[in-house]
Amino acid sequence: MNGRPEQFSARPNELLVERLRDGLGLTGTKVGCDTGQCGTCVVRLDGRSVKSCLVLTASAAGSEVATIEGETTRGGELSGLQEALRQEHGTQCGFCTPGMVMALGELVDSTAGGEAPTEPEIREWLTGNLCRCTGYHSVVRGVQRACAAARAEAPSGASEPAAVAASTAAGQEV
Amino acid sequence: MTAVTGEAPATGSGVLGQPLDSREDPQLLRGEATYVADIDLPGTAHMAILGSPVAHAKILSIETKAAEQLPGVLKVATAADFTDVMPLPCIWIPGGVESHFPPHPYGLPGARPVLTGDTVRHVGDPIAVVVAETPRQATAALAAIAVEYEPLPVVTRADEALADGAPQLHEAVPGNLNAYWTCGDKDRTDAAIAEAEVTVELDLVNQRTINSPIEPRGAVGDYDAATGEYTLYASTQGPHNHRFLLSALVLGIPFNKLRVIAPTVGGSFGTKGYLYPDMALVLLLSKALGRPVKWVDTRTGLMNSTVQGRDHRQHVTLAGTRDGRITAVRCTSYANLGAYPSTIGPGVATALMGRSISGMYDIDAAFCEVYAAFTNTVSLGAQRGSGRAEAAFLMERLVDRYAGEIGMDPAAVRRKNLVPKEKFPYDNGLGWTYDSGNYQLNFDKAIELSGYADMPARKAEARTRGKRLGVGLATYVAICGVGPSTRMSQEGMLGGTWESANIRVHPTGEVTVIVGSASTGQSHGTVFAQVAADELGIDPDTVQVLEGDTQKAPYGQGTYGSRSYSMAAPAVALTARKIKSKLIRAGAVFLGVPEDKVVYEGGRVFEEGNEQNTKTFAELAMSMWYGWGLPAEIEPALDETTHFDPPDFNYPFGTHVAVVEIDELTGETEVVSYTAVDDAGHIGNPKIVLGQIEGSITHGLGQALMEAAVYDEQGLLISSDLTTYALPRAADVPFFTLDKTVTPSPHNPLGAKGAGEIATVPPAAAVVNAVVDALSDLGVQHIDMPLTPEKVWRRLRGEAQ
Ligand code: FES
Ligand code: FES
Repeated sequence: MNGRPEQFSARPNELLVERLRDGLGLTGTKVGCDTGQCGTCVVRLDGRSVKSCLVLTASAAGSEVATIEGETTRGGELSGLQEALRQEHGTQCGFCTPGMVMALGELVDSTAGGEAPTEPEIREWLTGNLCRCTGYHSVVRGVQRACAAARAEAPSGASEPAAVAASTAAGQEV
Repeated sequence: MTAVTGEAPATGSGVLGQPLDSREDPQLLRGEATYVADIDLPGTAHMAILGSPVAHAKILSIETKAAEQLPGVLKVATAADFTDVMPLPCIWIPGGVESHFPPHPYGLPGARPVLTGDTVRHVGDPIAVVVAETPRQATAALAAIAVEYEPLPVVTRADEALADGAPQLHEAVPGNLNAYWTCGDKDRTDAAIAEAEVTVELDLVNQRTINSPIEPRGAVGDYDAATGEYTLYASTQGPHNHRFLLSALVLGIPFNKLRVIAPTVGGSFGTKGYLYPDMALVLLLSKALGRPVKWVDTRTGLMNSTVQGRDHRQHVTLAGTRDGRITAVRCTSYANLGAYPSTIGPGVATALMGRSISGMYDIDAAFCEVYAAFTNTVSLGAQRGSGRAEAAFLMERLVDRYAGEIGMDPAAVRRKNLVPKEKFPYDNGLGWTYDSGNYQLNFDKAIELSGYADMPARKAEARTRGKRLGVGLATYVAICGVGPSTRMSQEGMLGGTWESANIRVHPTGEVTVIVGSASTGQSHGTVFAQVAADELGIDPDTVQVLEGDTQKAPYGQGTYGSRSYSMAAPAVALTARKIKSKLIRAGAVFLGVPEDKVVYEGGRVFEEGNEQNTKTFAELAMSMWYGWGLPAEIEPALDETTHFDPPDFNYPFGTHVAVVEIDELTGETEVVSYTAVDDAGHIGNPKIVLGQIEGSITHGLGQALMEAAVYDEQGLLISSDLTTYALPRAADVPFFTLDKTVTPSPHNPLGAKGAGEIATVPPAAAVVNAVVDALSDLGVQHIDMPLTPEKVWRRLRGEAQ
């Protein structure tokens, strides 16, 4: 669990999100729906983003679980993705945000060394996460920014960071 | 009342109007913010609510014994346990509407009991609660409560509820009619329509939608037997308002015995300003059990209990000349209030909608009548852009119909009828007086930015790809800045609708700003700090902002109707000015010069013409804290409060242009570009407002394209989770093209107008106009929302609506 071993016995029907929130006190992972639709509960299981409300705790035995709490220390410095989202104001009420960060982290990581994802690819990647506040625009800009920064830093990324496509030239003017 | 003049914002430190990063974001991005579901008080018990599975029935019996025996169960309660609790009131009874319900103190109607004992009126109507050691135990025990129902006939549509022989919801309300409400001049409008060269009519359904903030609601009640005080933690938009409503009007306890705390709130869009049974229940049960009681809703629970929005069936008429001058507009609307009048639902369905129907146009005669009816559905309430979105929809659909009828370009018709700049303040004849505007400038900017002139070429090009391109315009005026208390009382709203702010300057020069408003994701901490810092000429990083706790903050109605920046921020600015003027008086003493020689600038005072004789803000703060040498008429310390009640509302406006492409084969509508030029007066933080505009437009597109609360004939909500109720996802929207115009409001010292939700008002109209434009050669004059691919596909094949 976020790099530390955790030992406990899970109830047979226990969901991973319940274990995280109620059992381990990791309340950064949120519950927004009953049907696996909203993505607020996304964590990374062995590096892949999954909806923790659809995973039985028992089935995660032996896996590495990464939650939002593992992204930084409390009050600590933001990850590259979080920093990019901060700069683009990719969060408003913040309820969808931990799930978004966990889901998008996989995308940013997986593309760091290669081609940056296109705007439609980012939007496609985000379809598992609902946000009612931002309309996703600032989130998409945040991912573009994060990918550009990650590529600039990646040792293999010889190319210049792609310019962050602004939603609109007037973005800052509204 | 505070006299204000609509000055330009102060430029003390120049931080107001700057796109500063939101100081709230880092905590949210780290997942460290505390929402209601994250609150874990020692000894907490958990509550679950049994909602009715049927839409309309008499309750013959409720058997709770079996549930009480289950493991972990601490208490099962029904209506019989709360007979001394007053019903939840409705506080917005629009002028002239009769209240049929047994009154509360203050003459309000008692709108719904905390638990229903005799007759259930919608699926989800709360009947019983279980409190148990764990949430799972509480939920499991619900299944063991046996309720015997005698089914009653069901009605879910407002027009049908008003028909002869319709099922009756409330004995006290014959014919299910809560209100027949009108505004405008009927005779004049009827006459103008009768004499008109051209008239067009439409029958519109503004479908019911569900706001669906991503955080479901929740509440924690904590009663302290030692002091007799109650604390409620709730996902609320208005902690003070909820404190007032719950203490005095429901629990019957003194105001100062209830503390309400709004922790971080995960979005609201209108729904979390309402009073719900669970808020009272957690408090009552905490007292009964001597433990904190917590309740967190599910998504399905939210869909079946949290107020829903829109839901009008309308017959609308527009009259005009052959050359494009609109002479009259008339609307007859059947509004669906749901099963009970919600906290302010009746006002939303009537005044907020009806007085707004003429939009940005200068129209000689206008009239709106609303029949607001009860049905077996969830109560109606606010929804991002509420009332104003419904109004803009009908007007903007009508203008397009009219343009089609007289063969004129829809943009040209609109431009011809905009209220001219010189006519402000403008009385719209329906009850609103628009404060300020430059509609031509705004409209022209949007037309230009959207490339409107190129549309014919783009249409032709799209056809070569099997797509039909359509362009739709929509303009709007949104009443915001609710509100001037006296004016709101004339609208029938109970309660002071003003906002207040307190500023304390600490001895070390740091500042705390405390406001009555409470954020549901609008970065208040950032923006209010900018306002105070700008006025005082200090660094915003030294300004702390507190809100959301009634024990700390001065009263304020809260966040709704895009009012925080034009209601609470002016209170902050005016308070900072009080601090400043006190510092000028005290500065005269400290600098040893007459008061009229003291200049306050850039966060310090100095002697006019002798800048060496100066004291910085931090030095002044310390001196004021010591209080040494101050004359008797100047009190030590810097601690000021302002209660801001503006002279009138403010009226942001704008023009939106949607361009859609419809796939000939699938009927799928894609929004390919969207241009919006909004005017919210002076803006405090453009980065934050940009986010709100983008979210708002996306929300509006949701209503146009996919969202609908669907009830079946039995009154069952079919769209009761996120698999059956569609919300826009990231791939459903393109980046938008956005710009602004700036017309300050004269009604507050920041020249601000509402901004947060205004861009939700026009998108539905713009998109439907665009789709109808794309299908106009097929004779299509209207399609009801949501514009699902199937619906559009059928119209492409010539099928009727
Ligand atoms: S809570 Fe897991 S997807 Fe919604
Ligand atoms: S920021 Fe509120 S739901 Fe995404």
